[in-house]
Order: sequence, then C-alpha cells, then structure tokens
Amino acid sequence: MSNATKDPIVRGALAHPDVTRLDDVNRDVLKVLATPGKGWWALFSLASLGLVVFFTSWGWQLYRGIGVTGLNSPVGWGVYITTFVFWVGIAHSGTLISAILFLFRAPWRQAIYRAAEAMTVFAVMTAGLFPLIHVGRLWHAYWLIPYPNSRFLWPNFKSPLVWDVFAITTYFTVSATFFYLGTIPDIAAARDRATGLRKKLYQVISMGWRGTDQQWHHFGKAYIFLAALATPLVLSVHSVVSWDFAVSIVPGWHTTIFAPYFVAGAIYSGVAMVITLVVPIRKVFGLEAYLTTKHFDAMAKLCLLTSMIVGYAYMSEFFMAWYSGEEIERTAFWNRLFGTYWWATWIMLTCNMFVPIMLWFKRVRYSIPALFVISIFVNIGMWFERYVIVVTSLHHEYEPFAWGIYRPSLTEMGILLGSFCWFSFWFLLFTRLLPPIAIQELKEVLPPPMRKQKEAHS
Amino acid sequence: MKKRWLIGGLAGVFALAGLAFVQGGGGEGGEGAEGAVETGQPIAFPHNQHAGSEPGQNNMDCQFCHFSAERSVAAGIPSVASCWGCHVAIPGTNHPEEVAKIQGYLERDEPIPWVRIYKISDHAHFPHMRHVNAGLECQECHGEIQEMEVLTKPDEWWTPAKELFFGQDPVWGGDNMGWCVECHRRPDENGEQQASTDCAVCHY
Amino acid sequence: MTDGIKRRDFLKVLGVTGASATLTGCSEPERLLPYVVAPEEITPGVATWYTTVCGGCSAQCGMWVRTREGRAVKVEGNPNHPVSRGGLCSKGHATLQHLYNPDRFHGPMIREGDRLRQGTWDEAEQLLAAQITATGNVMFIGGRMGPSMSNLVDEFVAAVNGTRIEYDAVSDAPLREAARITYGATGLPSYDIANARLLLSFGNDFIETGSSPVAHNKGLAQMSAVDAAGSKGRFVYLGPRLSTTGLNADEWYPIRPGSEAAVALGMAAVIADDAGAAGPYADVLRAYSPAVAAQAAGVSEDSIRELAERFASESPTLAMGPGVGGHHRNATAANIAVMILNHVAGNVGRTVHYDAAVSAATGAYAEMESAVSAMAAGQVGVAIVHGANPAYSMPAASGFVEAFSQAAFKVSFASAMDETAALADLILPDRHFLEAWGDSMPRSDVVALQQPVMQPVPHFDSKSAGDVLLATSVHLGNDFGATTFYDFMRNGHMEMHDDSVGDFETSWRLALRTGAVEHDMGTTAAPSQLQAPDVALSFDAPALDLGGDLTLLVHPSPRFGGGEFSNSPWLQELPDPVSKITWHSWLEMNGTTAEERGIREGDIVRVTSPHGEVEVPVWIYPGIREDAVALAMGGGHTNMGRWANGSGVNALALLPSESEQPSGAMLTLATSVTVTPTGERRRIATIEGSSDQHDRPIAPAVALADLGHVEEAEHDEGHAEFQELQGVGGFVPVPSEGGAATAFPLEGSRHGPYAESHDLPRWAMAIDLDKCTGCSACVTACQAENNVPWVGEEQVMMGRDMNWVRIERYIEHMDATQAGDLDVRMLPMICQHCANAPCEPVCPVFATYHTPEGVNAQIYNRCVGTRYCANNCPYKVRVFNWYRYMDDVPEPMNWQWNPDVTIRTNGVMEKCSFCMQRIRDVENRAALEDGRAINDGEIVPACEQSCPAEAIVFGNIRDENSRVSQVVSSERTYRVLDELLNTQPAVHYLRKVTFHEIASGGHD
Repeated sequence: MSNATKDPIVRGALAHPDVTRLDDVNRDVLKVLATPGKGWWALFSLASLGLVVFFTSWGWQLYRGIGVTGLNSPVGWGVYITTFVFWVGIAHSGTLISAILFLFRAPWRQAIYRAAEAMTVFAVMTAGLFPLIHVGRLWHAYWLIPYPNSRFLWPNFKSPLVWDVFAITTYFTVSATFFYLGTIPDIAAARDRATGLRKKLYQVISMGWRGTDQQWHHFGKAYIFLAALATPLVLSVHSVVSWDFAVSIVPGWHTTIFAPYFVAGAIYSGVAMVITLVVPIRKVFGLEAYLTTKHFDAMAKLCLLTSMIVGYAYMSEFFMAWYSGEEIERTAFWNRLFGTYWWATWIMLTCNMFVPIMLWFKRVRYSIPALFVISIFVNIGMWFERYVIVVTSLHHEYEPFAWGIYRPSLTEMGILLGSFCWFSFWFLLFTRLLPPIAIQELKEVLPPPMRKQKEAHS
Repeated sequence: MKKRWLIGGLAGVFALAGLAFVQGGGGEGGEGAEGAVETGQPIAFPHNQHAGSEPGQNNMDCQFCHFSAERSVAAGIPSVASCWGCHVAIPGTNHPEEVAKIQGYLERDEPIPWVRIYKISDHAHFPHMRHVNAGLECQECHGEIQEMEVLTKPDEWWTPAKELFFGQDPVWGGDNMGWCVECHRRPDENGEQQASTDCAVCHY
Repeated sequence: MTDGIKRRDFLKVLGVTGASATLTGCSEPERLLPYVVAPEEITPGVATWYTTVCGGCSAQCGMWVRTREGRAVKVEGNPNHPVSRGGLCSKGHATLQHLYNPDRFHGPMIREGDRLRQGTWDEAEQLLAAQITATGNVMFIGGRMGPSMSNLVDEFVAAVNGTRIEYDAVSDAPLREAARITYGATGLPSYDIANARLLLSFGNDFIETGSSPVAHNKGLAQMSAVDAAGSKGRFVYLGPRLSTTGLNADEWYPIRPGSEAAVALGMAAVIADDAGAAGPYADVLRAYSPAVAAQAAGVSEDSIRELAERFASESPTLAMGPGVGGHHRNATAANIAVMILNHVAGNVGRTVHYDAAVSAATGAYAEMESAVSAMAAGQVGVAIVHGANPAYSMPAASGFVEAFSQAAFKVSFASAMDETAALADLILPDRHFLEAWGDSMPRSDVVALQQPVMQPVPHFDSKSAGDVLLATSVHLGNDFGATTFYDFMRNGHMEMHDDSVGDFETSWRLALRTGAVEHDMGTTAAPSQLQAPDVALSFDAPALDLGGDLTLLVHPSPRFGGGEFSNSPWLQELPDPVSKITWHSWLEMNGTTAEERGIREGDIVRVTSPHGEVEVPVWIYPGIREDAVALAMGGGHTNMGRWANGSGVNALALLPSESEQPSGAMLTLATSVTVTPTGERRRIATIEGSSDQHDRPIAPAVALADLGHVEEAEHDEGHAEFQELQGVGGFVPVPSEGGAATAFPLEGSRHGPYAESHDLPRWAMAIDLDKCTGCSACVTACQAENNVPWVGEEQVMMGRDMNWVRIERYIEHMDATQAGDLDVRMLPMICQHCANAPCEPVCPVFATYHTPEGVNAQIYNRCVGTRYCANNCPYKVRVFNWYRYMDDVPEPMNWQWNPDVTIRTNGVMEKCSFCMQRIRDVENRAALEDGRAINDGEIVPACEQSCPAEAIVFGNIRDENSRVSQVVSSERTYRVLDELLNTQPAVHYLRKVTFHEIASGGHD
C-alpha cells in the first residue's frame, strides 16, 4: 500500500501500482474474454438449470392459477413483490457508481463501474419480470400501458402501480443505453483482437469505433450527458417503488420516510451486490492488479454509510410508531418485532444494522474474504427487509377478525431461486462477451508512456 | 441496411399493436362471430325472405318472432311451435324441404340447434328492452338483417384495428366496447350524453 | 380468445330446454336452443316467482322461489307465511344445492348381489309390490312429512297391515310430552318471544333448532331491539355452553348440565308465594329451594333468587325448557319444571300458548328402538325408510345397521345416496320438494301448500314417494281414490274444506298464490290449570354414564342440523356462527380445562366414552363450562355424497342408544368422556383472525343508560374538525360547527358525481347490531345470489374463503365460572362502499371505482389481479379468485347460478356489489313502466331479504324519507373505522345496546 502514496494521483484516481504499460491493460482485461474454463461452464449450466426451474414454476402458475402461491386474504402480496423491490434495489448502485460518481469525479469508480452497470441492467431485467409474475391475469397486464384502444379506456394515473410501469421502463432504457455507450471503445479494443464470429459481432456492436479524436469528443459529450440524465433516475426510481407502499393506508406502509429510506437501502444492497460479484471476477480472472483493496475499501465505506442511514430509518419508524400514540400503528410495529414474523425482523436488523458495524475496522475493510461474507449477509438482510415490510404489515391490519398468516409456497421459492439464476445467466454471459473492466478509463489513470510523469495529463 | 431495420422494426410494432387490439377488442368476445358463415344453420333460414321489404318478401316485424325484445333483456328466439304456427299453412316457395324440417323438429320434440351469430361477452349485460324502448332500430346494432339471406357480421380479428383507424363500421361493431360507448356518448336533444357510460351499467 | 368469464353455463337470452350448454372457446359454435312449445308464463330473461313451503326441516317456513327459464335459481323467505313471516335460514337456502345435487340417483336402483343396478319405475314398483305380497310384515320408517303424505302412508300401511314408525333424528319429543302431561296439549307450545320483557332459555337453542328457528330468530330480534321508549327486553341464557342463541344473551348463567329443572323450580319457589300455586306440583316446589338449586347448578343462590324476582316483576316474561342439545335422562321433567316456572309467573296464555298445537319434529326414538329389536328378531319382511337416515342418525350402539340388514327386503326413498340407502335392496329416489307437490301444517290453524316450482331436474329420473306408493298400491290391488299424489292431496283438502269460507277453488288458488292460508280453528280455551303427572318424574340432575371427568354435550349443528344437510358445499363452507370453523368438526373446550391438560388449540384429541371414541381437533372456547366439552352433530358421513363424506366426525358415536323416559327422545346429554391428546395437530379451517377488537372502533356498543346522549359520550377534542372532514364525500348531514359543512357535499367539493345538483340516488345500507343475531343466513343468501364459489377446506385453511359477508364475532365479556353479564358483538362485515374508498385510487386500471350512485363497483372483466385494492382495504372485504373455482362446480349444480351475475374467473378480485343486478333489474322494470320512479324498499339485496332478524335495510340515503335514512338518523349510528380513516362508508351500523356500562368511548 505504501507505494500507492508515492504514485502520482491522476485526477485523484486510485493508483494501480502493478500496472505500468498500457497494453498490459488490454492484455489482462481482454484475456477474460478468452475461451471459458470449467468453472465458468459449471456456473453457467447451474444458472441455466435454474432458468428451467424459473420458467417451469411460472408456467405452472399460469396454468393452474395464482393460487399455487401461498398468498391469501389478507396477505395479497408476498415473496414476488419482496423480490421485485429487492432487485430494483440491486439495480441502483450501478448507476450510482457509473453516473453520480462519474459526475462527482470520484476516484475509485473506474475499476468497478462496468461490472456495476452490467449488474444494474440485468437486475432491472429481473425486477421487471416480477410484476408480471405477480398479477392474476398476465394476459391482461398490458392494460397498464396507456395507449389509444378500442375500449376508450386509460389506466388510472393515480395508481402507484402505473407510476411503476413508467419508472421501471425508463430506468431500464436509460441504464441500458448508458451501459452500451460506455462499452463501445472497449468492444472496439476487443474487436481488434477477436477473430471469427466474435469479430463480426464486435464489429457490428462497436459501431465502427476507430478511436479518432472526433469520436472521443462525441463519446465524452454523450457520456456525460447520459450520466446527467441517469443521475436523477437513481433517486426517482426507488422513490416511486417506495410509493407503492407509502401511498397506501396500511399501517407499516403509510410512512413519509419511505422514499429516502428505500433509496438508501437500494444503494446499500446494490453496493453489497457489487462486492459479491466483483470478488469472484477478481479472483478467477486474476485482476488483482486492477481491483485493488483500495477499491473495496471505498465500497465498504459506502456500505457503512448507507447501512447507518437504513438503521436510522428503522429506528425512526419504530420511534414514530410509538410517538404517534396511534394504537393501530403501535400494534403493527410491536407485532413486527415480537409477532408471528419476529424472526424475519430480527434477521433484517442483524444483517443490515449489526453485522456492518464491523466495517468500522480498517482490517475488515481491507480483508476481501471478510467483505465478501459481509456483503452476502447484507444481501440476505435487504431481502428480508422487504419481506418484513410487505408481509408483516399486511397480515395484521385494521380488522382483527380478518388477520391471517402467509406461508410462501414451493412455486414461489422456485421463482425466487430462479430469479437469481436468471440474473446470473446474463451476468455470466456478460463476463464472457464484454470487458468487465473499463479499459479506456483505466488507461486514463495510468501514467502515459513516452512522457515525463510530472507533465502527466497536463 | 438501416432501411431493412426500419422496416423490420415497424413490422414488429404493428404486429404487437395488432395483437393488442385483438385482445382489446374482438378478443374478449370469446366465442361468437367465428363460424357464422362456414357453420351452416340446421335450417337455411332466410331472414330477408321473412323481414325483407322487396317484392315477394314478407316485411315481417322483427318482434313478431323475437317476441320479448321490448319487454325483456333477451330478445327471445321463436319456439319451434310458433314457426310451425305459420308454416303449417305456408309450405314455402323457394326451399320447401327446409321448411319441412321444422315439422321434423316439432314431431321429435326437439329444439332447433340454431348457430349463434350475435353475442356480447358474458360479462357485459345488454338489456334489449331498454334499447328498443329508447327507439333504436334493430338494424343499428344487428345490421341490415332484412337484406341478409345468411346472417353474418363483419367481425374479423382486424375489425377493431380497422375501426380505430377508419372509424366504426356502419353495421354491427363486433363485440367491441368502443362501439357501445360511442353510441352511449352521443348527445341527446339537450346536448347531454344520451346514455350513461358508467362501467357498472353493463358490467356487474 | 375467450376471456373466461362466463355469465352462466347455459344461455340466459332465451328459453332453454334442459339439455343446452354453452360451448366456450372458438372451436365449436355456440347453439341457441329455443323452446319446442313456449310456456305462456315464461318470458326469457325475466324471472318467474312461485310460492312454496321449505321442506328443509320441521319448521316448514314459507318460501318464494325465483325461477329463470324454468330453473329454480334462488329461494327466499315468504313474508306472507303466518309462521315464518319472511326470512330464511342458511339451511333453507342450501336446499337448492340438494335439488341440483350431482350425487342424486339417476333412477330407481335395484340391488343385484353387492351392486346396485338402475331400473325402470314400473319394474321397481312391481318388485316392491311383489315383495310386499310375498314376505309381508311391512314396516314403514318415516321421517317428518306433510299431513296428506302422512295420511297416504297410514292408508298404505293399513292396507298391507304393516306397522308405521315415526322417526326424527332431531326431535322435540320431551317438550311435547311435557306439554301433554302438564296441560294435555296436543302439539308443542307456541312462544311469543317478541313480547317478552325478560326471556329465559334453559339451554334451548331456539334460533338454531326447534319448532321454528326463523320465527323465533325474528322474535328474539324484535324483543331485544331497543324501542322508541328506549327500553328493550332482556335475554338470559342458562346452560353449560353458549350456542348461537346463547351468544345473543345479555346474561349468562353457566349452570351445570342437567340442573335446569332444579334452577327452574328454585326460581318458581321464590316467585310462588305459596307452593300451592304449582297445583299438583306443590311438593316438588317445596323440595327445591333456591339453595338446593344453587347447589345443583353451581351458581350462587343470590343470583338465582335475584333472577327469579326479576322474572316475576318484569312480566310478561318467558322461559323455554331444554331443547335437543339438552336431552338428558330427565329432559321431560326439566321441561315440565320450566312450564311450572312459566305457570307461576303467569306467562301461560300471554307469552306461551298451549292451544296452537305447533307441529314439528317430535318422533320418538323409543319407537325406533322397538323397530330395531323387531328387525333384529327377523319379524320384519319389508322395511321401508322414507325421509330419514337412521343408519347415520342413530348411535352406532343402537345396532340399527345390523338389525336393518336382518329385514328380508329393504327399501329406501332417499333421493341421493346416504348411509341407509347404501344398505337397501331397492332405492326409489324421491323428488326434491321443489319438484313435487305436498302440503304442510306448521300450526294447527295454518295450511300451506308445497307446489313444484320447476320440471324435475332432467338428470335424475325421480318420482315423488306419494306417486310411488299409489302406483304400488295399484299393483297390490288397493285403491285410495286417486292415481297421483296431487289428486290424493287435493281430495283430502277438499274434504277438509269448510264451504262457509267460500268455494274450494278460490281458497286453493289463494293458498297457491300466497303460500299459506290461516283458518280460524276457534281458539280452544287455554288450559289454565296444571294437571297432575300421569307418569313418574324425577327432577333431579340426571345420571350420566361414567366415561371420564368431562361431560359431553352433543348438539345439532346450526349448519347441518342432525346431519341431513351435510352434503351442501355452501353449508360446509359456511363458518359456524359460534366457532367460525368451516368443513371439519371440532371439540369445544374451555381454556382453563385445556391448560390443565396441556392441550393447545388445533391439537387432535381422542374423545372416549363408554360407547365409542372419536378423534377431533380442539377449539378453545370461553363459552363452555370447565367441566364440559361439546361436539356438534352432522359430521363424519361415510356414504352420503362428495362434500359430506369424510368431513368431520359423527358425534353420535359417543352416545348410548337410549331413550329418555317418558318422552322416548334420544339422549344427547348422557355421558361423560375422557379427552386425551393424540400428539397430532392440524390447522383449524377457521375464518377468524382474532376475537378481540384490540380497542378498535369496529363493533362499539352503547349502554342502555347512555341512550339519548350518545353524541356527548362520543365527543372528544378533534371531533369538530373530523366533522369538517366528513363533509367531503360524506353522506351524513354534518351539524354545523365552526363553519363546517352542514350538509354533504361541501362547497366546491370536487366529488362531482355527488354534487347536490346530481339527481341520481345514493345507495346505502343500515345494519342494526342490536338486532343481528349472527345466524349467518345472509352469508348463504349472498353466496346463492351472487355466484360466490366455495373453495374447500384446504383453501379456507390458507385463508382464501370467498364469502362476501363475514359475520365477525367479537367476544367482549364471557365468564364460564359465574353468572353475570355477557357481551358478544356480532358484526356482518361486507364491502362498506366507501365514498372515500382506499381501494379505488390504487387500482391501476379502474377495475374498482365509484359509480355516480355511490356504489363502489368492481368490474371483474377489467381486473388484472394486482390485489393492491385488497391490501389497501381496511375492512378486508375483498376476496380473490385464486383458481378457477367455478370450473369445478359439477353439472347440474351449475344450474343454480344466477344468470344476472357474471361468473368470475381465475385471477379476478370480487366483493359485495350491493346486489347491483337487483338494482339494475328494478331500474329496467321502472323504465318499462314509463320511467316511473323507483319506490323505497323495491330494491332488496339478498342479505336483507333473507335476514330473519330484519336487521338490514337498504335504500337511497339521499331521500330523507327512505327507510334507510330514517334508520340512519338514530343516535346509535356509526361507521366502522370512519373516524380513524375518513373512508365515508355507505354501510351504516347501529350500535348494539347493552344493559351493562360500556367503558372507553363505546368500544371496550
């Protein structure tokens, strides 16, 4: 680490002491795209298997009816909505890292943002499926889309569910475009080395990138423009999702803190997921030189911050419930801690508030294995956070006589599991087809050859 | 290259739109229009011969046979006996063999299994009497029945799309909510809309 | 391409012959099947109504039947019937499902070896005649039947010189015997509950069983409803367990099982200044001092004394003796004791009449015992069973099954398979009462005619038992002066007819039209003096077979009666009014008792008596004494039908086969049992979440003392501003306070459709919780009217019951250890049709929205199934179609579906619609009658129509003179959770009125 301080800080970027020559970068990063090893194939076939589970479960549900879930009255939303919110949350950190940190010139994003962005795109793809899985009549779900039709009917723009449609689709479009744009120069780099079919593919999608000044000029403009465009979405999308709950009158949902609370939670889970994904990539493809512990340290700090925001949100919810003096509100939150679903709540609190306390210690932040484990804890905790919000609030509502219990069914579990496989499926493909690390941005932070380092980047 | 993409894309969009309309319009009809023409009726009953006003046609009032249209939600299908009530004396000029079938059904004490042509979805309630008493002509919904030898109505899968772009078909609008709403919305003499478009008026 | 929503599986748009069916999907064309010859009285698409008599149970209530295109689709109470006076119970509604029961026999069945073969009627009648001539010794075991049928049976049996046994599974024999002994009465006493100021029920569950549950339910509601003068009758229940009837009591005396006689006599002793008042029973009265009574009953002597004094002072009062659930070894004596109590309190001739001779199920079990022994002895050649199912309804200990198989030839008239028919050699499927002629005489001065309302269901080749008997008699060479039962019956009435009241035809027609005729019998003077008993009586606590430490209480189920109703999915899924459990059986046990034994709710226990044992899950119930457990009849059918079989356990397995003396009734309270956990558990199929209101303003009550100033009691700070809120979208004119709105809507209210200029009606409902008895008739009525599917035990356990009406039963105060106040709140929870509905803004596609008429509509075909509306509904009245439940409804059960209501498909939300189809129907009718206005009370939702308590009122609240506006103007009016959420419901509730003080703002 010591030599890191000696390195010149180009635009405040983290140094990569072990990387000296620019074509090392191409070599190291692009070797990732070489023919996959056994490990990759193992994971890939596992993911594909999961996809089979996923679509079989969904097919079964479509065939038999939504009743194959454990849902009932009063608990009309369960694992599906939980998982939907979970994946939307995951989707957030990508854009945060690539767009917001880009605008704020954060030093450490270059090495990880590509993976984060890919994660975003695939996470939104996953999340987007769940509303469809959830509705009772999928074949009529298109009624939520406003278009002139032979019924002279429009969707109800008052309903948060319609806002969701807009939020998710917009977010997917923008983040996908942003992701694609950023990859173009690297695809070109890959193209120059690739052969055969791969080459053809890269030729098409690199859109004839030659790396001329003019192209770089347009690229830079377009990139910063899209970054600016994407930034507000990071905040808006999960706020909208949170309103699915906040707009209702369900005790435990009807809370003004939800928007910031959800956004923080989203970034929290997102960063954790980035760690979970980047650690193996780093190991498997030997990218230690590019993904230094400093990067992980930075991500860990972001986790720590967001975990404290989330923890504050939990506490304030309980406090407000008590402070309001509203009996029904109080009962709802008491029930959250000590009711039927106490275990879910305590898993949530442990994983999201207590475990991350360890991140205060530098030793932990610099220990990759430790971070990996913690990040997984956080992922679990954040899923349960949504489960707690959705299920415990619904199962004890206003009408005591109508209180009920919800037990997730096998089908729901199959689809939950499948959604992870669906995500991994795409992510694994990504690691094979696109450079998982932004080559051109890395090069920017390296000392350019044939120049004195003093004048570097004059 | 670019051009081909464009064409492809547009084609895709239209295909989707088409699908949507099928779902939206004709789709909900469920069974109904299909097989009106290809499925022959058990008796080749010529509406024009009965209700037509051409020379040689009998110019009968629709409600002579569809007896409950003005007092019930259902227009009613004439009983076999009531067909025979006239045809016992009228052997029929063009197709006596078809007329003779009626007697067969009567003697076998069997209902005539007419194939249904006009059908609104089961989740939409259409009270005939309200419309008849509001002064609507049967033709406004059913088309120029009195001129049809074989009943048919233009309700193909593309009908709703066609109507969206080229306006309502002057005849029977198919099982298409727009067709109903468009008429309910028309202003009456006071310039107010002539019938309610409240959903629960028809759907309950 | 089809949307899957079918209005009905046959076409409503035209007259339809039986065999029609809609073909869904695009493959096959849909067929239109006209009548061959159209019946005049039927207009396709327009309902035709007939009056008839409910053949469901011995109460014989008056019925209206709605038929569409020649099919009965709904039964309703007939307000013109002099006994039932409108309203119908759940069982009555469910008779429709017995009519269309797919398990009915398809024709006469003849046994060949161990299988049954379907034969022709002629063949069957020949066979019966042949067997009778061959073997002789005919024994006719008949359940309850109309007078004409009864006469026919008598003549038939006489002609073949056989014997006739009258048998009712659920019988009021002890009451009848007691009435005979004490007053020489011929029938059951008739009670005038409505006019009693203090009503005592000694374990008599009169709104569930007995001579006329519907009428008694109505009476109870009228009695306990607070009148204009602000007074209401008080209801005290004395018994070991609170039944549905008991839950409506104001006070509960949890007396020891079998101690009714002691308590009644103890009270009589207090009332009667000298024992002589009890005439021949004077010395009995002397023997039972309040002290003795208290000793026997396990309640304090003071409480008995004090109750007795009130019983004397607050006259007119009324006491009712133990019913079927309390048939112990001294049941007749107990009923006599209660009669003595009524006598000394001077109620005879005022609230209880012995001259009306109410006829009800009173067949004596003793006769069956003799029948069994006769059959066992092989003295019976041809055993004919009609209208009874003794193989199920007699305790296993009776040995009926073995004895019955001793008979040379066994005949059953069961229309569907049951345990007895399964043993028969010949089955002659009887018609359902909606398909057949008959008559009834619920009271000696009332004759009601039962006419067929439709052609027999074509799937089943059935024939009315009367016709079969007549046809067989012809084969036997006997002539009863008629070839059809209709003629036989009509002749009988013609003979009875008294020409002074006008010619026969007229009164016959009248009877058919109105459903019943009342002819003055000339009141026979009420016997004023008690007669000395002509049999030995013991008023002591009855002996119990010692099987353990807990007394077993077996009672008829409010849903299944004695088990004859069990094969109806509606009733199986109807939550029991007491336990709220569906489908399976449960053992009621007091919490303390369970705790002592380490038993938790849902534990499956083995209940062992000297006579048998059953395994059944426990339900913890504070409304039963700690020394008793209770089990309902009607479960555990082995061979009845797809819905009854295997559902629950048969409580009779635990009972001895013994008859009470002198009445000869079957004992239901005869043994104690041991309860041992099996170690297994199960989920109870209940709809109940919590029976505690958790201090929420859901079912508040008001003390009688507080009437007249409820508003003040309710006032708290912030009330005024709430009232301002209320102006927005609200119904109730708001008293002007600090510039708040004086009437709905506020100036500039954005609720356009509700603006005063808007002249559409505003539909609303009022439910008087002071009248509601929780009998749950409305639940089944709604299910029948609105095509609400049943979902099955598994689904109910998952919390997916679909009933649109949920009768919430909140237990406020219930103490099984001492006599005291009882406070149970019954609340029929339906869609509240909020003007400010939480469900509406969250629906993404406007599938739920507000109509200009103030109804919260649910457009099924628009619903995408996000279920957000259900989550956001604070009342939890929205139910979801998790599967295609209606697709599982077997032919011809689907013939019952209401053609005016859309059948909902998989993935669609649904809920109460205020019976939108009925609103539209009346609107259409009014429009046809040159656009006349709709009269108040012309639109009657199914729940209001069937409510025996007349607790529900529906109408246009915008019209100040409408009934609903009148009712709502009461100070007791409140709207559930409205003050909390400002939902502005259209459903208004009137607080229950209690005698005891209510703590904390109306909801304690």
